[in-house]
Amino acid sequence: MSKKVALLILSALLVILSVSGCSQGQNKGASGDVVKVGWIGSLTGDQAVWGQSELNTLKMLAEELNNSGGLLGKKIEIVGYDTRGDATEAVNAVKRLISQDKVIAIIGPNTSSSAMAISGILEEMKVPDIATVATNPKVTVLDGKVKPFNFRVCFIDPYQGAVAAGYAYDVLGFKKAAVLYDVTDEYSQGLAEFFIKTFEEKGGKIVAKEAFKSGDTDFRPQLSKIKAANPDVIFMPYFFKEVALSAKQARDLGIKSVLMGGDGWPSDTLLEMAADAVEGSYFVNHLDFDDPAVQEFKQKYNAKYGKMPELNGYLAHDAFFVLVDAIKRANSFDPVAIRDALETVDIQGITGRIRISKETHNPEGKEAAIIKIEGGKYKFQQKYAVTE
Amino acid sequence: MIQILQQLINGLSIGSVYALMAVGYSLVYSIMNFSNFAHGGVIMLGAYFGFFFVTLYKMPFWVAFFGAGICSMLVAVLVERVAYKPLRARNAPFLYFMISAMGASMFMENFVIATIGPTFRTYPQVFPPQPFNLRGIYVGRLDMVMFVISCISLVALVYFIEFTKMGKAIQATAFNPKASALMGINTDFVTIVVFALGGFLAGIAGVLFGMKYTVYPQIGSITIKSFIAAVFGGLGSLPGAVIGSFILGILETLVSGYMMSQYRDLISFSLLILILVFKPMGLMGKSSEEKA
Repeated sequence: MSKKVALLILSALLVILSVSGCSQGQNKGASGDVVKVGWIGSLTGDQAVWGQSELNTLKMLAEELNNSGGLLGKKIEIVGYDTRGDATEAVNAVKRLISQDKVIAIIGPNTSSSAMAISGILEEMKVPDIATVATNPKVTVLDGKVKPFNFRVCFIDPYQGAVAAGYAYDVLGFKKAAVLYDVTDEYSQGLAEFFIKTFEEKGGKIVAKEAFKSGDTDFRPQLSKIKAANPDVIFMPYFFKEVALSAKQARDLGIKSVLMGGDGWPSDTLLEMAADAVEGSYFVNHLDFDDPAVQEFKQKYNAKYGKMPELNGYLAHDAFFVLVDAIKRANSFDPVAIRDALETVDIQGITGRIRISKETHNPEGKEAAIIKIEGGKYKFQQKYAVTE
Repeated sequence: MIQILQQLINGLSIGSVYALMAVGYSLVYSIMNFSNFAHGGVIMLGAYFGFFFVTLYKMPFWVAFFGAGICSMLVAVLVERVAYKPLRARNAPFLYFMISAMGASMFMENFVIATIGPTFRTYPQVFPPQPFNLRGIYVGRLDMVMFVISCISLVALVYFIEFTKMGKAIQATAFNPKASALMGINTDFVTIVVFALGGFLAGIAGVLFGMKYTVYPQIGSITIKSFIAAVFGGLGSLPGAVIGSFILGILETLVSGYMMSQYRDLISFSLLILILVFKPMGLMGKSSEEKA
């Protein structure tokens, strides 16, 4: 008898416990003191260095914001998921962030292919995304129509390729250019295409256009062909691992041409790996690491994590403040209201003035920084915008 | 003229990378009759062994080189004991060996990602980076080392298989494992020797690959090309594997150098398929009775 009573009490207790547990959980998700902001990007693979830098930046900024009273009376929590640089993984991560974690907005990813893949699900679930370094035009505009929930804080590929071509022709005075690009990568193709377009429009000549496939480690066949065409400059619009390998192999083949690239270059690993091979090269970047405007963030990051932020960290920084600005002006955590406010953002970020255009969802009129590798260091040359 | 010679040198050097990897593949295939996809994983581990021996333990290069070979040898034998022996004991169909091999390969890749990390690393400079300049044709020192090592390991391997008692046992086992066992050959031990040899070759291939390019967990995927080269040369034939590798390397180079580099893989692999249509056993492939 007493056994039965004890069991009854026990089960009743269990039921109460589980019910109260449930209601507590719901409260937290819907109207607690914490608001979640999602992040997606690569934490494994070639681009892990960059993804990690973005996530570190966001966590640091959220912590700072929370310590100084939070946002609209709430604390911000960053929830980050690894996409492994894969578009399918990115879509899954977004689904998980929105349906499980109930985030109000998403920052990232850093690759264009992932950023393009997630626009369908963003529109379906009505949550805005701010891409960091996804520079392909199609991230925000497809077939002339702006994607309602995709935004970004970086300039776009055509602009980067055009800036490199303009600088090579107008400032450096090069007349013959060769292009080596990754045929399987949209980023690389985009940059190559617009470099060629601008360079030819200005009156320059493209003497060789060669391709490789991502995963390749040997570029000597293509480089030997480029060498025979004898260009003044070789444009290499791809990521630092391939840049290091191809630059080394180019020098091994006795190629003396100046090398140029885009924002896939900057990384401490490049200097470590390629050393002398990239000496005297130029690349287009989103910002200058020595710009006074970025020093404060750089030092704070270094103090917290014991290393310097990668380029992605700086753009994640601006993406965060673009989002904060939009939330403040929307005066709400409703994702759609935030989206509407994002369309009229105009703030001074550390990577430049960010004025989002309603038509393109891009920061219009952002100047690019031209950087030269000199004495094993990145040396800022000038801010440069290509004129039509 | 200079350009075509340079391109041939480029092709030979790419080919010797494939060859080093393909020989190990072919060797295991000739005994076990299945494609050991775990070979790529062992190559990758070899690259890491060599890297840590050189950087962390500051070993002289040749010590690290053979050390990495021996460590990879142990790994390959371990893979055989864990992933293949239980299957062999139960006479599992060969498809299961292949699946098990893929599993082992993925395990190794993810093991490295989880423990060492996904970022890539570079070997310190061992050979002087300046290439030899022969009247405008540039030949890298490391390329020459790799070419010589590919040739030496092939010759040593052929000698071992053709002229030693152990080699005869390997041939007999490849010919008919059951009959060999009845004749008093310890076929289990023969299998271990074969995997040990394959593993050693994988290890030194990994070190050379890592030095030439870079070290990262996905190195194993490069072996898909050397596998194709081995099939093309005639799976199971060691000279075939080497010749197939050089042909693939040169073919790729010529296609990207003289046709369109955008279509390199498309054109070179169409050619390979075409050749296989006419020579289904590969260039030097023999019927299964004669292999090894």
